[in-house]
Amino acid sequence: MRLNWFSGPSKKKPVGAMGHLLHWAAAPWRYSPIRRTVQTLSLLAFLGLFLYVCFPYTAVPDAPPTEQTAADTAPVWPSHYADDILRKQVVPAELFLAVDPLVSISTAIASRTWVWSLSFAGAVLVVCLFVPRGFCGYICPLGTVIDLFDWAIGRRARRLNVSGRGWYVNLKYYLLAGVLVSSLFGVLISGFFAAIPIITRAAAYLLTPLETGLARSWHQVPPINSGQVVSLVLLAIVLGLGLLKRRFWCRYVCPSGAIFSLVGMLRLTERKVEKSCVQCGKCAEVCPFDAINDDFTTRAADCAFCQTCGGACRLSAIQFVPRWHSLEVNVVEEPATEEASIGRRGFLAAGVGITTAAIGGTAAAKAIEATAAGSGDTPIRYPVRPPGSVPEKHFLQMCVRCGECLQACPNDVLQPLAFEQGIAGLWTPAVNANWSGCEPSCNNCCQVCPTGAIRDIPLEEKRVARMGLATVNQQTCLPYAGSDSCQICVDVCKASGYDAIEFMTVGTETDERGAPIEGTGMLAPVVIADKCVGCGLCQTRCYAMNVKTEKLLDESAIIVEAGPGKEDRMMSGSYIELREAEQRKREAEQRERSESEGGDESEDGGDSYLPDFLK
Amino acid sequence: MPSAATVLAAFMAVLFLLPTESPGQEKDNEKVANKNTRSKAEVEKLINTVGKTPPEWFDSVKLNYPGSLDLNWPQPPPSRQWNNQRNVGQYIWDIINPNPSRWKSGVRFMHFMLKKHAGDEQLRNRVMQSMGRMYFDFFRDYPRAAFWWRASGVDKDESPEAVHLAECYWRMGNQDMAKELLGKLPNFYSAIKLWADMGETDKALRVANAFAQSGYVDMAYLSAGDACRTVGKLDDATAYYKSVLNVPATGRMARRIQRNQRRAWANIEGIKLYDSLDLSTVPDGKYQGYAPGYAGNVYVEVAVAKGRITSVKVTSHKEKQFYSAITDTTSQIVKQQGLSGIDATTGATITSEAIINATARALSKAGK
Repeated sequence: MRLNWFSGPSKKKPVGAMGHLLHWAAAPWRYSPIRRTVQTLSLLAFLGLFLYVCFPYTAVPDAPPTEQTAADTAPVWPSHYADDILRKQVVPAELFLAVDPLVSISTAIASRTWVWSLSFAGAVLVVCLFVPRGFCGYICPLGTVIDLFDWAIGRRARRLNVSGRGWYVNLKYYLLAGVLVSSLFGVLISGFFAAIPIITRAAAYLLTPLETGLARSWHQVPPINSGQVVSLVLLAIVLGLGLLKRRFWCRYVCPSGAIFSLVGMLRLTERKVEKSCVQCGKCAEVCPFDAINDDFTTRAADCAFCQTCGGACRLSAIQFVPRWHSLEVNVVEEPATEEASIGRRGFLAAGVGITTAAIGGTAAAKAIEATAAGSGDTPIRYPVRPPGSVPEKHFLQMCVRCGECLQACPNDVLQPLAFEQGIAGLWTPAVNANWSGCEPSCNNCCQVCPTGAIRDIPLEEKRVARMGLATVNQQTCLPYAGSDSCQICVDVCKASGYDAIEFMTVGTETDERGAPIEGTGMLAPVVIADKCVGCGLCQTRCYAMNVKTEKLLDESAIIVEAGPGKEDRMMSGSYIELREAEQRKREAEQRERSESEGGDESEDGGDSYLPDFLK
Repeated sequence: MPSAATVLAAFMAVLFLLPTESPGQEKDNEKVANKNTRSKAEVEKLINTVGKTPPEWFDSVKLNYPGSLDLNWPQPPPSRQWNNQRNVGQYIWDIINPNPSRWKSGVRFMHFMLKKHAGDEQLRNRVMQSMGRMYFDFFRDYPRAAFWWRASGVDKDESPEAVHLAECYWRMGNQDMAKELLGKLPNFYSAIKLWADMGETDKALRVANAFAQSGYVDMAYLSAGDACRTVGKLDDATAYYKSVLNVPATGRMARRIQRNQRRAWANIEGIKLYDSLDLSTVPDGKYQGYAPGYAGNVYVEVAVAKGRITSVKVTSHKEKQFYSAITDTTSQIVKQQGLSGIDATTGATITSEAIINATARALSKAGK
């Protein structure tokens, strides 16, 4: 049984237009066109999911209610954003994040919970028993981007190239160990190093603004913050490693790849070299993964099954076969230098490496915890998290900082934090309500979160899940301050369907008898805490109008605040039921109070309507 | 005779507070001016049947009031300090009145108070008067408003609220009952509008002139102008409005006078614009216009199709005590297919007028 899908012994000269194109495009296209095609499709799929499926602005708003807003008609809830992404999702929008095993494994360890994407990762690992490290060779969009970078830039700038195999060759295992140890301490750092979060975050920080700017307008692009700069610098480093060696990141550094390498020990297939090998060295030259030993045998943990070598070999000496398939393989006459001597020294080196990684992981965990918000003397300003976010401690353990929710969020309500919450909060999504408010028709962030840091709750649940509580600043709010009448927060809250801000007359003047004078005073906003979910639409309006346009205030006079008692952060359970329970409790309290305060409100039908003295 | 302070309070009270047109059953509003559509017996029957029963929503509305309220409702409040979480009247004023979503539970709350204080005649009258006011202001529910006002004795006490009771009679279809009651009452300011709405322009003007004599020239002539405008005497209306502009805006009342002059000016403008307009020449489309209301401009959007006004929408406003003016006035305009013969929503006169003037401005822009 052969599993060869490289293109047969290569021709000496390119033939035809296609041949010329392939020749120009670089050797791997000639040697292993299927792999390159899969890679291309995979990258396009990644971009399609990110730029099309997650792009919220294809949603068509529901028809607006035709009647003028009556005092007590039931709100008509729109759902166009949620419907739009559901319609577009043939496969989950976050598919690539779900299949990166480090994402789900590290979050599951850190949070001690079952993460739904573990099953996706498991499926991919099973597939990779048949195509060892196939994820890296075929699927990973970061790998493909690195290939593109290496082809476009890396091959032209060879001055930094390194040769041989240095101290770094096992770095990925140590990084993996570090990430997992840190997860054990409940601190999630896989977002810094895992392949798909890196490329997704790059897309969120580079492509999202670009897409927003081109498809909508540039003034709708939020400003970049220092956290995003850090992320882009890290991306530059990941790509820049290609200047040392092709696919340097994938070969030696990527901890997601390390998982595939480890699982690859159980591989069912592998690359084998037949006796006909003349040791020309062509295969080792083209191998992007540094997976060929000096004696041309396979360094199986690194081989990504890309089959470029198979296409490069003019003697067809390279075969991809089941592991147990016996070939007349190349006889190893001498053990290759460091490879074979996995004796005491190698063992020792690995031990030292793992120990260092463990210490490093622990140190990272402790350092990140130490910088976390609320650990110092400064008062905590709780970030307003997306609707349906799990409790903050767990949120930080489960949010892999990929940025997928940022792209899916209409109007960029969600923006990545920089260092406001310490390193622990870096790149995590938070509501910037000055920028925009959370759409009642949308649960896109819930739909696309790959780890369940934002729970995948249906729109009906999301609408009642409290992200925070709007709080009016009575010192600055125009009617409270007596400076002008203003009701934009009330209007927007009503229009959104929440209707959680009502009026209160303030500053009423009284006549000499203490009776109010008609027409005096102003109507000021009062937030109804039972109804407010902290969407922030009020803050957005106040900021846009009173701060930016009219320049009457320095900051919005109504601000969404999070924190205990102001938000619903649950690992499981229904927000609707929570609301209903609160409602029942309030009604019971009211009933109890009015009963104790007299007044015959017993429910004995219409007869009790008229008081006795009128009967 | 009530004291000057009471008259003034009534005065101000009626200037801004209260709606028109009854709960659905009375489609025949302003044009019934000169005839009775219900006999006195029928109106009495209406009050005694409908008025005595709870509205259909009554049982489905939950009782809801803050625990901090002093349910004994001392009047005047024990402390000079305004506190809408403690004093019932101030709670109604500050919290219930401006929030349509609280109107039904407001009635429910008053009903609770009525049961609680059934044995205290003075207090229960206060509660019933407030209940009448709520049915009238919030729901334009004239039989119930009339029932509770009568139960509280406003007609016997010659309270300014009795003018509204008279309006209830008229709205329910018996103008004679309204006139009879008005005739027994002292000259309250709010009577000017009611006389005018009932088509008794002369009586309205007589009361207005009496007020002008006693010093409230701006208010008197403004409502005299309104009285003429209601019946389509636009030249007379303009003349009255112009005399409001001539009142010197000085002294303690300068702010009020200025406010009334803004209204007068807007009304002159509205009359001028609408007078010169032929609706059939207005091309199809949507037109925006605005006019000053109580607290800043009221913006409307008027849709016209085939020479007809198909809708009027208030797109933005800063009004406070607008009650039902926003839906009532706009629907009247569509029903009348024009701006004459619209009676301003009692209690939200300024808002109503602003909507009418804004519509005039929108259409005049379109007609050119």
